[in-house]
Amino acid sequence: MRKKPRFHSLKKLKVRQDWSRWTLYSLAHQRPPNVTGRTYFQQKWTAKSNTRAYHGEQIREKKWKRLFSRNLPAVVPMDFNYLAHHDGSEQAAGRGAGADSAEKLNRPPPMTPYMQMTYYPIERRLDTAIFRSLFASSVRQARQFCVHGLVKVNGKKMPYPGYMLNPGDMFQVEPSSVMFATGAPKKRTSTARKVAKEKAAARAEAREKAPQPSAPSQPEPVPTREEPTPAELKKHMQDLMEDVENVLNEDVGAKDKQKFRAFRQTVKKAVSLWKTASPETVSTLDAQFEFLKDALDKKQAAAEPSRNEPTESTALMSPEDQQKLRQAFDKLKLETEHTSAWNKKDASAPYATPWRPRDYMSAFAFIPRYLEVNQSICAAVYLRHPVARPGLAEVPTPFHLETGQLAFNWYLRRR
Amino acid sequence: MPTRLRASNLPSTVFPCSSIRPQSIPQPARISREFSQSSCRQITQRRRKFYEWMNGPGRMLKDPLPHSTNYLGAYDKFGNLIRGTFQPKDAKDATPKAEAAEGVEGVEAKPDTSSEGQESADDLDAAVSRSEREEMQKKEDGTEEGRLVPETLEDLRPFPLNRYFRSQPVLSEELREAIYQFVKRDGHSLQLASTTFGVSNERIGAVVRLKQMEKEWIAKGKILAIPYAKAVLDMLPTTPHVKERGKRAITHEPINDLIVHPATRQQLFVPVAESRHFTRVDAGKAFDNNLLPADERIPHPELIAAEKDNIDGYSVSERQRRAQERLEAEMAEKNKKKEEKRQAELASTKTVPQRRWDFVFQDVSVDSVGRNGRDPKGVGWRYGLPHQDRKKGQVKIPTKVEA
Repeated sequence: MRKKPRFHSLKKLKVRQDWSRWTLYSLAHQRPPNVTGRTYFQQKWTAKSNTRAYHGEQIREKKWKRLFSRNLPAVVPMDFNYLAHHDGSEQAAGRGAGADSAEKLNRPPPMTPYMQMTYYPIERRLDTAIFRSLFASSVRQARQFCVHGLVKVNGKKMPYPGYMLNPGDMFQVEPSSVMFATGAPKKRTSTARKVAKEKAAARAEAREKAPQPSAPSQPEPVPTREEPTPAELKKHMQDLMEDVENVLNEDVGAKDKQKFRAFRQTVKKAVSLWKTASPETVSTLDAQFEFLKDALDKKQAAAEPSRNEPTESTALMSPEDQQKLRQAFDKLKLETEHTSAWNKKDASAPYATPWRPRDYMSAFAFIPRYLEVNQSICAAVYLRHPVARPGLAEVPTPFHLETGQLAFNWYLRRR
Repeated sequence: MPTRLRASNLPSTVFPCSSIRPQSIPQPARISREFSQSSCRQITQRRRKFYEWMNGPGRMLKDPLPHSTNYLGAYDKFGNLIRGTFQPKDAKDATPKAEAAEGVEGVEAKPDTSSEGQESADDLDAAVSRSEREEMQKKEDGTEEGRLVPETLEDLRPFPLNRYFRSQPVLSEELREAIYQFVKRDGHSLQLASTTFGVSNERIGAVVRLKQMEKEWIAKGKILAIPYAKAVLDMLPTTPHVKERGKRAITHEPINDLIVHPATRQQLFVPVAESRHFTRVDAGKAFDNNLLPADERIPHPELIAAEKDNIDGYSVSERQRRAQERLEAEMAEKNKKKEEKRQAELASTKTVPQRRWDFVFQDVSVDSVGRNGRDPKGVGWRYGLPHQDRKKGQVKIPTKVEA
């Protein structure tokens, strides 16, 4: 069997969709296409071969041919001032080419590079979009992430790298995998080896000792009442305030996270007492705080006229308590941020720790405009299909305009 | 192969000139093929050049530049940072010159009119980099010394051969937070947020959605990828958030993009009487009967209406009132349509509640299969039309995922 050609060959320099030094080297040594002394077919063939080595190299040619579309999308930025002041008739005035005016002397709008948009359907693929949003160091790796079930589209697992994203789709990748893909690779050290061995031993021990799986804990009864009884409410409030005290006493970045966790639990319970609170509406810390405050205020307002016992109602939540609760929520937020930002040495991580970007990443780091990325949760939204606009094509392609044109012409054949 | 000549038996005169002498570079024996024991002794010229480039001109690209992008386009052939070489001591003199060279008319000079005008994307990016430069100058006056000159558009090219692509700025972290607060806390509409921040409608929606998710993660105590986020945002050009109250936000992207309609791709020659008042609407009709004029197809037609009010000489309060009225009318229309759609759906389905599940009956038509019987809207199996889904090459990847 014929030997498979090298993926990164120095003999035939090919630009690939990855962040490797070979790709960087070939990018630096690219030349515009040689059009003199070659037949048109040869030119087209070379252009096709070079561009296909970069765009969707993992897709079979036949599949790509079916994806190819000769209609290339484009937009023109409009000036609303111009639209408001003119109705377009001024362009027809004068001697056919519009009335002479000073405005006509402006420089003409730049050319719209349609020919760089040949491969725009490939940018719609999930694996390519993951690579473009800087969550993976190559398209092949992005593809692997999909196949391994690390990618979600709109909150649902999507194991198909060929899924065509629709405008408005949100995709997210497991943050630890992203840190692995974009971080510097780990060097095996003796400590790491020791840690790995200890872990394996611990796991084996746990497996041996593993008790019979106990009966699943009873799910908590869903609160069916519209509103909690005052006694219940009071008890919950006491619990909550106790946890607040605990959290306030704890330092941010403390080793023992139990108190923070307990506080989160009580807040969740306190919120779930009310039927009006669904987990979707009261999901952020601010929303939780506002909700608790409002609910208690309402309760208080309802209780006061009927019973007229100010002592009883103030016991629910005094302004000082409110202040404290606010502080506790702030502390909770700080704590999470601190834990996330804490970039410490960690032998169990699959990347070099403390985390740092991998070599040559900065030369490839750009995010095209058709994606909106939130790096801290490793999620992105595919806003729209890539478009060409005057002077700018949104498909990131490393090739010369002429190469793009030749490749486009190759695929126009028989279409 | 048995050697005929032993090196020890030969006189030294056998190798008179240096070119015949065996040329092997001493190096640890590497194996040339997996199955072979002989070592490969050559370092090819290509490989040598590769490493030369990597250790020479390519060395600067290995690690990110602090507080700056680091693309291939910013370096010359010998690996020198172009903007670094003629970096003057006082950046204040250099900035206007660079601007003049770019030939960009000031977006800044007339901030009231052109911030949302967006003639070209170049101008926008130039505005962003200019504001960055200004900020930098302020900082330079203060404390920081060793920072680089902010990059020009040339420096933002990751692919030196492609002149039509460059790395465009992304939203900075503060700007995202500001957008989220503007929409969620202050309760403004997406359209208003879009015009205020100079960010397109879709992007505003996406930013709010992603920020919401980030906050949920914080509430749940999930670990975020903050070291990664910091490193990446440091490598990318960003649009900063303008915090001063009176100042306009830096426009991130053109917000009034008109999609090129396929019907307008051809050239048309339409003879028109000179006396006729031939407007955009007529031009649209000439291309396609259903083609609306640009005024109605851009994402922010309300800006045109507001500007027209301005031209007609309404006072500020009057203009605001009219804008509010238009907004309400539009919302009412939208809600009415939504309600109608919902009612139609309700009318077409019949629900029979059961103990555990409800039975839902939906009206279907046999005719929806179309003339050749293969329309995807068709229901049920039709005699003589086998399902295609077991055939080779049939794609079963979902085409959409409900949010």
